[in-house]
Amino acid sequence: MKVKVKVRRFNPEKDHRPYWGEYQLEAQPTDRVLDLLVYIKGYIDGTLTFRRSCAHGICGSDAMVINGRNRLACKELVKDVGRTIVIEPLRGLPVIKDLAVDMEPFFRKYRSILPFLINDEPPPYTERLQSPEARERFDDTTKCILCAACTTSCPSFWANDSYLGPAAIVQAHRFIFDDRDRGAQARLAILAEADGVWRCRTIYNCVDACPREIDITRAIGEVKKLLLVE
Amino acid sequence: MSKLARVTLSQFLTYRGGQPMLAWLLHRIAGIGIVLFVGMHVLAAFFLYGVTGGTANTVANALTEFYESRPMQIFILFAVLYHGINGLRIVVLDMWPGLHRFHREAMWLQWAVFLPIFLIPAFLIALGIKIG
Repeated sequence: MKVKVKVRRFNPEKDHRPYWGEYQLEAQPTDRVLDLLVYIKGYIDGTLTFRRSCAHGICGSDAMVINGRNRLACKELVKDVGRTIVIEPLRGLPVIKDLAVDMEPFFRKYRSILPFLINDEPPPYTERLQSPEARERFDDTTKCILCAACTTSCPSFWANDSYLGPAAIVQAHRFIFDDRDRGAQARLAILAEADGVWRCRTIYNCVDACPREIDITRAIGEVKKLLLVE
Repeated sequence: MSKLARVTLSQFLTYRGGQPMLAWLLHRIAGIGIVLFVGMHVLAAFFLYGVTGGTANTVANALTEFYESRPMQIFILFAVLYHGINGLRIVVLDMWPGLHRFHREAMWLQWAVFLPIFLIPAFLIALGIKIG
């Protein structure tokens, strides 16, 4: 089948404003959007820039706006997105070139919520044991691959880039509800600030955008409730 | 580098967030509508009772005529009902985070409650029918 791919292109070194690059190509219904981008770069226009790594929905490198929604290019099939495919870089992050955005502001927020196990108790001789039930408590939020699809789909983040964003809160949730961790109070103090969880307006764009199907708004809700109870 | 981080209005409006995003937008519009309505009310009362003179009276009358017009009454009815019912949905989901997995059903329930409560009085206002 013939497909038309429109890509929002922008090279800050020579373009004053972004423009749409249009490419016509043959594709199979089972091709992924990433396959089309790789084809365009390889055979039509070598200057097209995008990020990719594992290409199997695990590394989270190729999150982009596909037909108006944040998606991983390696998980979207042509048969699901139609014959005209409009691709844009993630919203709210600085564009480095074409579809590659600067992820540093996103990772800065991720680092700010202390995304590591905090436990000053002397380590036991064996591993720190955890029951299956205690592990289940935060299982959903361990699935995050830090692709930034959720944070960059959030209108609260678009309006205020100081907002921590759903991904950072999901990562905080992963440690706050881990019974081996002792740093919950430090994280909750960060999340209770003006740019923390209270900026979530329950819009659910993040839930729709998450390629790992994490129930993000629920995780944010659990953190909000914990803050109220604490 | 470091260009185009700001999200433009067209980018904002073309993101296909679906029904939940629409609900959030309507919630905002309804909220602003209520603030404007109350503001106009206060302003009209101020001009009517707080300021003397013909111009103040004219301004007060113009404001009153505007917010008492039928389209404005229907808009205010929409704004108050939508803001209230949508707000209740969000409060319930926020208080019981386990219910978030039913957020789509909650949205349909909200429309099922909102539409009859809004449409019947709006229809009566539009036709100028007064009850009682």
